Amino acid sequence: MLPLTIPFLATIGLATLGYFLGRSRAISVAGRDMRVLNALPHQHGLNTCFSTLLPPLAVMLVWALAARIASRKGVMLAPENPTLVYIILIGLAVAGLGLSMMKISRDFRARNASERWIMGLLIFASTVAILTTVGIVLSMVSETLNFFGQYDWKAFFFGTTWSPSFSGRGGDSQLGIIPLLWGTLYISFIALAFAVPVGLFAAIYLSEYASPRLRSIAKPMIEILAGIPTIVYGLFALLTVGPLLRDVFAEPLGLGDSASSVMTAGLVMGVMLIPFVSSLSDDIINAVPQAMRDGSLGLGATQSETIRQVIVPAALPGIVGAVLLAASRAIGETMIVVLGAGAAARLSLNPFEAMTTVTAKIVSQLTGDTDFGSPETLVAFALGLTLFAITLGLNVLALYIVRKYREQYE
Amino acid sequence: MKDINLAERAVTMNDIKIAAKGVQVYYADTHAIKDVNVEIEDKTVTAFIGPSGCGKSTFLRTLNRMNDTIDICRVEGDIRIDGEDIYDPKVDPVQLRAKVGMVFQKPNPFPKSIYDNVAYGPKIHGLARNKADLDEIVEKALRRGAIWDEVKDRLHAPGTGLSGGQQQRLCIARAVATEPEVLLMDEPCSALDPIATAQVEELIDELRQSYSVVIVTHSMQQAARVSQKTAFFHLGNLVEFGETDKIFTNPEDPRTESYISGRIG
Amino acid sequence: MTDLSSTPSNSLLTEDKRTKKRNAAERRFRAFGLGAILVSCLMLVILLISIVSNGASSFKQTYMAFPVTISQEEFDAAEGSILKTGAYNKMLQSALTEYLTTNDLLGDATEDDVKNMISGEAAADVRRLLLANAAVIGTEIDFNLLANGRIDGYFKGRVTRETAALDTKITGAQLDLADRMTEDGSMVTRFNWSFFTNPDASVQRPEAAGLGVAILGSLYMMAVVLCLALPIGVAASIYLEEFAKKNWLTDVIEVNIANLAAVPSIVYGILGLAIFINFAELHQSSPLVGGLVLTLMTLPTIIISTRAALKSIPPSIRDAALGVGASKMQSVFHHVLPLAAPGILTGTIIGLAQALGETAPLLLIGMVAFVKEYPAAYSPELGLFGEASTALPVQIFNWTTRSDPAFVERASGAIITLLVFLLMMNALAIFLRKKFERRW
Repeated sequence: MLPLTIPFLATIGLATLGYFLGRSRAISVAGRDMRVLNALPHQHGLNTCFSTLLPPLAVMLVWALAARIASRKGVMLAPENPTLVYIILIGLAVAGLGLSMMKISRDFRARNASERWIMGLLIFASTVAILTTVGIVLSMVSETLNFFGQYDWKAFFFGTTWSPSFSGRGGDSQLGIIPLLWGTLYISFIALAFAVPVGLFAAIYLSEYASPRLRSIAKPMIEILAGIPTIVYGLFALLTVGPLLRDVFAEPLGLGDSASSVMTAGLVMGVMLIPFVSSLSDDIINAVPQAMRDGSLGLGATQSETIRQVIVPAALPGIVGAVLLAASRAIGETMIVVLGAGAAARLSLNPFEAMTTVTAKIVSQLTGDTDFGSPETLVAFALGLTLFAITLGLNVLALYIVRKYREQYE
Repeated sequence: MKDINLAERAVTMNDIKIAAKGVQVYYADTHAIKDVNVEIEDKTVTAFIGPSGCGKSTFLRTLNRMNDTIDICRVEGDIRIDGEDIYDPKVDPVQLRAKVGMVFQKPNPFPKSIYDNVAYGPKIHGLARNKADLDEIVEKALRRGAIWDEVKDRLHAPGTGLSGGQQQRLCIARAVATEPEVLLMDEPCSALDPIATAQVEELIDELRQSYSVVIVTHSMQQAARVSQKTAFFHLGNLVEFGETDKIFTNPEDPRTESYISGRIG
Repeated sequence: MTDLSSTPSNSLLTEDKRTKKRNAAERRFRAFGLGAILVSCLMLVILLISIVSNGASSFKQTYMAFPVTISQEEFDAAEGSILKTGAYNKMLQSALTEYLTTNDLLGDATEDDVKNMISGEAAADVRRLLLANAAVIGTEIDFNLLANGRIDGYFKGRVTRETAALDTKITGAQLDLADRMTEDGSMVTRFNWSFFTNPDASVQRPEAAGLGVAILGSLYMMAVVLCLALPIGVAASIYLEEFAKKNWLTDVIEVNIANLAAVPSIVYGILGLAIFINFAELHQSSPLVGGLVLTLMTLPTIIISTRAALKSIPPSIRDAALGVGASKMQSVFHHVLPLAAPGILTGTIIGLAQALGETAPLLLIGMVAFVKEYPAAYSPELGLFGEASTALPVQIFNWTTRSDPAFVERASGAIITLLVFLLMMNALAIFLRKKFERRW
């Protein structure tokens, strides 16, 4: 670790001092009449403060990053004597303080100067979003390439068996993604098959039929479902839904004796998705202009005919977008499948059998004893990248459709 | 006012299609329509005029119970079509609206094809036995809507792609396709340019041959051009009702005169 | 149109056949809608009932109360031995046997039966008490000692005589003994404060497991999220909403933020593992890494709600400020931001609530580890929030993976605790929105 704590604190101290120095100097430059200043003393102080603070901070950030990258390549960037670092960084702060103090005069436009610093900070903050995406992609791509160096990519994408060996390195592990994708899609399909009709009908009823009283009760209740953490749904699947489905359906029908199953995880995930589908659809249905309803009712259509034949078709692009977003949620959901779906990778059609998903396997491969040199661990990054690519595709498509839809009625 | 009506009947000899007596409309606590009595004749264009907010649109919407869709709206009084009380609990507004069609202020074609827009009404009311029947109904309606020649080559293009005037004529064709007996028009030209307005006005004049047409407008010129009867509303009251010519040349009520001459409204 | 019965020219007062059919369809459609709402609400109710019925009992705990006297010699001997808690355990066991014999409660219980009544954790509790308060050594103390998890389960209905017959860890004689002790008043069930303060306990001792470390860890992480996500989120929103010009770069950022809001949370876990732990070499299981991961996850939510709040401030406010000669920056910081503050705060609280319940990414950065020591906010070696910790939702997950059903009760109880926290945060958000809501 670079010895950055001391220069960091020193810089902050100097910057605080800088604010008061800059302010008082501006006041003294002004003499008795504050009106001769081009900017308020407060703005002079701010400019001094930022000039002192930000350059050393930026250097520290870049330095820390560079040193980290270098040390991974085996080069030590940190100097043996930390005093040198202190001198450079604190010197930078003092220089900033001195220079900005010298600039203070009656004509100095401190407002513009300090606002340029603030603008820089705002822009930096908004690049965090991009940096996050870059970080996600980079972190997964490099390890995925690493993985494909050790394991054939064709066997990964087209392999129909998932059986990692736990003893020692690679060799006889079979890491085919197909059974995991199958489990993921099967569970998501059941979840959507439950959540889309229920969510859509709930949204339609709430926006077209419900009295204000019912709406004021039912809408928050459905929204509560959205606020419940997924671990709670997971436990619900494990404790209640799984055993119930096993005792009522699977065992009497001879379809299996496992409490964790595709059906369990799918149904519980469906409950989780209801509020998601219904609140998005609610927005979308409300965006359909009242004129459409009037036009249909004015022709003598019943309310349900109006909804089925005019409103839903008009809202269809938006609803499709909402369903795609829900699908992306379902595919990326982790805790419910970890607790409700089981751990066995299986290619089967029986919904009462335990299966597993991409997310569940990411968790199981990356928790416990991990060895970042073995394909059994690295495969998690390839799984993560696949998951990211699928959900990214769905999200971008859905967001595009929804945006186009909104523009149509704006 | 009764005397006037008697006189009218003698002149035109048309049947009374809609008879409204003592109609009151409330929006929550607001008394929007105050004791309106009016008789609308068959095969006639009746215009409702008046300054904005005078209740003419509200009253129009009571005639096919479109006000039902507004929760806080309450209607009292007696409105009869062909002698049947349309607010009778036994009356299904769906059946009523099939009989009393409506065209709205802003053209509101459904986001469907031109054909599907017109076929929508006949389909839900089950007016066609087969596809050929439906094709025939659609063509007839589009012809009556005076838009057939413009759209016959692109019946399956979206209705929203038409120009404003075409859209409004499409909406009229859509309303006509269900074979209504009365056609209500709520400022059908207010969103249109002068050329499109002229086309729609011409169309209204033709529709008079088969329907009783009620049109709300705040253009007095339009009322004068298209209507035979005119009703003047002011602050929720029906101030004057009679022959259009008479209302515009020799109004009885001073308020009507003020409005006609541009002093109120 | 030859079918006159279906033309609408009939009387309005009689419903024709077709209308009847259509109205029936209308009623069916309505019933579906109402059914969907009922199903949704029913699911919520079943979910809550299931959690509460499983977890409510975790807020109560069975204790044994009997007098123990530990002399100075015994204390010294125990502190001198290698297995210190083992020595205390023996003292407690003999004290219990003595109490039961003198009060004639022993019945047909064997010596082993009596020994196993006491939780393995009780000895450690006693030792802590004695070390903290040397004055009680040599006097008779009325200890409240944790009873074994199975005994506790007996009073909560989890253990019955039928299950006990199949269970090697409990005997029928022990249950009889427990019944007699309850009558005697030396076995009581009380509110379980230690559930909120104790750290996790080993797989053998569910009766001692608590949420103390998890709550502390979650609090630390929330502090990190609040300190990072709020300023960064607000700054980014201000730039994008007020200053950014429409160009390809801002478009990219916009699409990015919308997409980040929908990226699966587990992906953030992979990011945290690869960047913060493997690359930056921050400490595994530390609230700092957890907080950083949750910050990145919460940012999109905060940015989206902050931008909505900024958007709702009418342009006239900005114009008014610009009109008196304020700079664009001043108009934003002096006028727009304060007016948007309630909306921003509401969005932030909702984002925090989301982060508090998030589990999956924390599993990948090692927060699932067994942590018995309360983490300090700062330590010289590990830095700020660097000590290993766990978090509420991860603790819940951890407990669900243990086989003893007593941990299911604990997990459900922890969920109730988590939901209460979330409820309070959301209630605060709703309160703020109601209080400061303004229509322009």
